[in-house]
Amino acid sequence: MTLESTATDPAATSAASSATTPQQPRPARYVGRPVQRVEDPRLLSGQGRYIDDVALPGMLHAAFVRSPHAHARIVGIDATEALAVEGVVAVYTGKDLDWLAPMVSAGPMREGVLAQSRSPLAVEVARHVGDPVAVVLARSPYLAEDGRDLVDVEWEPLTPVLDPFAALHPDSPLVDEALGTNNISHLEQSAGDVDTAFAEADHVTRIRFHSGRSTAAPIECRGVVAEYEDRAGGRFNVYSSTQMPHLLRMLIAPVLGVSQGQLSVKAPDVGGAFGLKCTVFPEDIVVPAVARMSGRPVKWIEDRWEDLAAGVHSKDMHCSMEIAATADGTMTAFRGHFVTDSGAYSSIPFTPLVDSQVAGVYLSSCYGVQNVAYSIDNPLTNKCQIGAVRGVGWVPGQLAREVAIDQLARSLGKDPVELRLQNMIGPEVYTTPFGQTYDGGSYAAALEKARDAVDYPAFRQRQAQARADGRYLGVGFSPFVEPTGWGTASAAAGGLPNGFFDTASVTVEPDGSVTVTTGLHSHGQGHETTLAQVTADELGVAMDSVRIVFGDTDSSVFGMGTYASRSAVLGFGSIQESAVQVRDRLVRLAAAMLEADDADIELVDGVAAVKGVPGKTVPLQQIALFGYFGGPARPEDVQRDGLTATSGYNPGETYANGCAAAVVEVDVRTGLVSIEQLAAVEDCGVVLNPIIVKGQVAGALANGIGVALLEDLAYEDNGEFVSGSLMHYLYPSTTEVPDLTLHSIETPSAVSVGGVKGVGEAGTISAPAAIVNAVMDALSPFGIVIEKTPMTPEYIRGLVRAAEAAATGPARS
Amino acid sequence: MKPPTFDYVRPASVAEAIDALAAHPDSKVLAGGQSLIPMMNMRLARPTALVDIGRLDELAGIEANGSLRVGATARQSTVLENEQVGRRWPLITAALVHVGHPATRARGTFGGSIAHGEPASELPAVMLACDARFLLRGGSGEREVAADDFFVGHYTTVLADDELLVQVEVPDPAGSAWGFGEIVRRHGDYALAGAAVRLAVDGDGTVEEARVALFGVSGRPIRATAAEEHLLGTRLGDERAAAEAGRAALSGTEVTDDSFVSATYRHDAAAAVVERALLEAALRRRGTN
Ligand SMILES: Cc1cc2nc3c(=O)[nH]c(=O)nc-3n(C[C@H](O)[C@H](O)[C@H](O)COP(=O)(O)OP(=O)(O)OC[C@H]3O[C@@H](n4cnc5c(N)ncnc54)[C@H](O)[C@@H]3O)c2cc1C
Repeated sequence: MTLESTATDPAATSAASSATTPQQPRPARYVGRPVQRVEDPRLLSGQGRYIDDVALPGMLHAAFVRSPHAHARIVGIDATEALAVEGVVAVYTGKDLDWLAPMVSAGPMREGVLAQSRSPLAVEVARHVGDPVAVVLARSPYLAEDGRDLVDVEWEPLTPVLDPFAALHPDSPLVDEALGTNNISHLEQSAGDVDTAFAEADHVTRIRFHSGRSTAAPIECRGVVAEYEDRAGGRFNVYSSTQMPHLLRMLIAPVLGVSQGQLSVKAPDVGGAFGLKCTVFPEDIVVPAVARMSGRPVKWIEDRWEDLAAGVHSKDMHCSMEIAATADGTMTAFRGHFVTDSGAYSSIPFTPLVDSQVAGVYLSSCYGVQNVAYSIDNPLTNKCQIGAVRGVGWVPGQLAREVAIDQLARSLGKDPVELRLQNMIGPEVYTTPFGQTYDGGSYAAALEKARDAVDYPAFRQRQAQARADGRYLGVGFSPFVEPTGWGTASAAAGGLPNGFFDTASVTVEPDGSVTVTTGLHSHGQGHETTLAQVTADELGVAMDSVRIVFGDTDSSVFGMGTYASRSAVLGFGSIQESAVQVRDRLVRLAAAMLEADDADIELVDGVAAVKGVPGKTVPLQQIALFGYFGGPARPEDVQRDGLTATSGYNPGETYANGCAAAVVEVDVRTGLVSIEQLAAVEDCGVVLNPIIVKGQVAGALANGIGVALLEDLAYEDNGEFVSGSLMHYLYPSTTEVPDLTLHSIETPSAVSVGGVKGVGEAGTISAPAAIVNAVMDALSPFGIVIEKTPMTPEYIRGLVRAAEAAATGPARS
Repeated sequence: MKPPTFDYVRPASVAEAIDALAAHPDSKVLAGGQSLIPMMNMRLARPTALVDIGRLDELAGIEANGSLRVGATARQSTVLENEQVGRRWPLITAALVHVGHPATRARGTFGGSIAHGEPASELPAVMLACDARFLLRGGSGEREVAADDFFVGHYTTVLADDELLVQVEVPDPAGSAWGFGEIVRRHGDYALAGAAVRLAVDGDGTVEEARVALFGVSGRPIRATAAEEHLLGTRLGDERAAAEAGRAALSGTEVTDDSFVSATYRHDAAAAVVERALLEAALRRRGTN
């Protein structure tokens, strides 16, 4: 892997950030440096403690009875035989859980989206393969599965709703009768004058694209362990493999009928999540509920079939995309229609609009198109629910737009890179037609760098030569904008009008060590490293004295968790706001101890010194001890508040950007696509740690390869689910990911603390469109139009076969 | 993902193993466990007992005097690393690289891959191409079965319930040309279509004997007899003959058509792999001679 980095002109950089960010330049001792991940020695030597490592005394094990049908009425459930198994302790059905409040989807204050209510175990109707209908508790997970196999459910199969377009038809059977419709949300939004732009266009390009159904499939599946204690009016301890401890607590406590104070959520080490674990699932409710009913702690560890059949699915979207353009290639309008095949339940809290709506609302991306319109539909179907997974609806949105732009280039006989550059916005702060305000970015520069990374002119020559030899090479580009750092402002700009609230608490302990608690959560991102880097710089202490605490609602301050590429921005901001206060107190304490002026104190690496007076120093350890126990000589606020401060941070909108470029070869005999080169340019503002950024970019690109070529959650025509193991749900392994070419550009955010932007989803957003465009470029001699992902060998070969038949068929002879 | 209850027996000899199989109705031989254990975890297989032959040293040997004799429980990785095999039976080595991954090959056995009878597995087809013979031993004694007669259908072979595959014998392929190819979506996956070919040629490169074996295309590994007939008397490396053989490869075969891959695709893919394996065989021969 090669990594090359370019910083934008530093003078321009500091000017840009100081214009809007008031704070002083920081002494960047750690931020920006390739600091090794401090969590790795623990995780890589097997000392991680994951959900399955949680063991409580007297714990029972749960296995869920799940629907084998896409849509069926539950006529009756007979657990007699299961209960007869030695070691099976209890079986509960949906009816037994009628004391729970319903789980209700759709965030608060969400207009235009129907709220759907469900019971965590289906009571009357099961709505997809894998929908849970009962739970068996037993002394071991083996016995629980033995019991599960013996629970006799009498089913009355109902007609499944499987086609999202048929689901929109007024005569369609309903997935959820209570809603009176399958379409939980139809929204339209338009800016500028789209109709006129299309009417006046010299050229209109129209495409359809079906983005396939994929999911996160983290190495560690989900899991919940819960206990109920009869003290203080009853309280739950819920251990969960989640990305968002506080938010999970907030959303499950009311369903369980307790206050948030009566429920603690503890997330141990989480072995991958990728957005999947920021959904609230039925098991998050059922496991604590049956712990209470059985009087015993209960553990449930999801297996891979459950993960694939009944977690969340993602990105299954039917897109149609139109571009209006003038004869010279200026794109004047975009119009998109996005139909998310939403599955049986509206996922909590983000709903399937996390796919459909975000495909539409960011449609203009890095292009200066001023007339933009989209509409979305979200039909429920008898499949697994659609929820947030890395890249969310940005991925299908990017596919639709970038594939259409390549199509436009072909129709106009223009070069796809030139056409994009011609239509791109400038690097400065920019407000899109739908009102998002970008905080500056290297849109054109990133595309140019990606073009150079694949040696574009030389590639075109090589491509021509290869074609003469009957080999099909292609190149594709995919510049992107990634909304990051989700807080109140950016979520609102993306169509999600919910508030966000995040805090961090910074404490200097009496011996000078530093404890930070945050409501963010790390499940691979390396927060123990990056947030410690930030803290150390902000306080002027050594990084190894900083400990980052998160993952337990009992010990961490409130925050919304980690997803949507938000934690670099939120973590930096909230820690800085707190650390500045603590540092100020440390400086005043040091000044008192050194009998110097506050303004003359420098705090570096845990030692306070007086500027210009060599040797006049005091170590942090002594300052801290003085701060805690130094009596009346201390400043009054220190006497009262000590060396701890908690602050919130709610950033403005931050947008990362970049570009992926793919070079592929297509074997037209077999339809196999091999990726010769995948280059990515990433601009996530100020880089906290290049090792971690590289890891995020590489992982997301691999994910993008999966979306483009491999990953598919398939249902048969009768609704049977056929991708329930990793033999059939294929994601890329090391042999499918080529050596990546990674470049970076740093355009500091004009709005965020420290100039940082998020980076978690970039490659997943950009790579699929680059690869699809490359394959279409390779197959352009056949005039092949690709209309879906994943591009399986069968799909590609089928297109080639049809093209060959058309070329040699009777029409020509 | 947890198996139902079963008994576990670890016999000290092949004879004991056969007795244990007879004593436990619905029992199964456990070798490397790389196919059987996942099937049990998914509760697709529910044997009442496992008879673990994995530690029987008498079954783990590899001998290469004239013909190659591989004990059933020799690990796939051990065979892959065997220098004699690599030199004299390169088709086996070439195929083993595609059987799963280093981790699965470290446990998975040579015999297990054959006895399992998975139609998309590499080794069974390679055994057909190599004209291998299998030594079976059971309650009613010992017998030898040719690879051509061994595979019956999906996960079924001629092995009786109380019978063990003991040893695989592969004749010396001296002088023959060979090729191998498979279509997989990821390295190490089971093939959507694959071919193992071995050709005996005379002094001026005319094909005298052709064995073209296919995997992943039908309910069991098969010989593409029509393709073989096409090749007889043609010159090794003749592009036209290779293409014809590819096209003929699946004629008369009932081709698998499932949720994931259609028969049409398998036809195209098989044609391509057969043709390429034949050309590769010629190229390699030119390279070495
Ligand atoms: C991730 C993964 C990827 C894989 N990819 C491939 C691949 O690409 N190609 C491929 O061919 N295989 C693949 N496999 C399967 C692997 O090669 C297995 O090792 C092999 O199929 C079975 O061998 P085993 O020794 O593990 O047998 P086991 O799993 O122990 O047994 C398999 C079956 O054979 C029977 N059996 C085993 N040995 C004997 C014997 N000596 N006599 C009688 N019956 C016997 C058992 O009773 C059982 O029914 C993969 C497996 C995994 C887990």
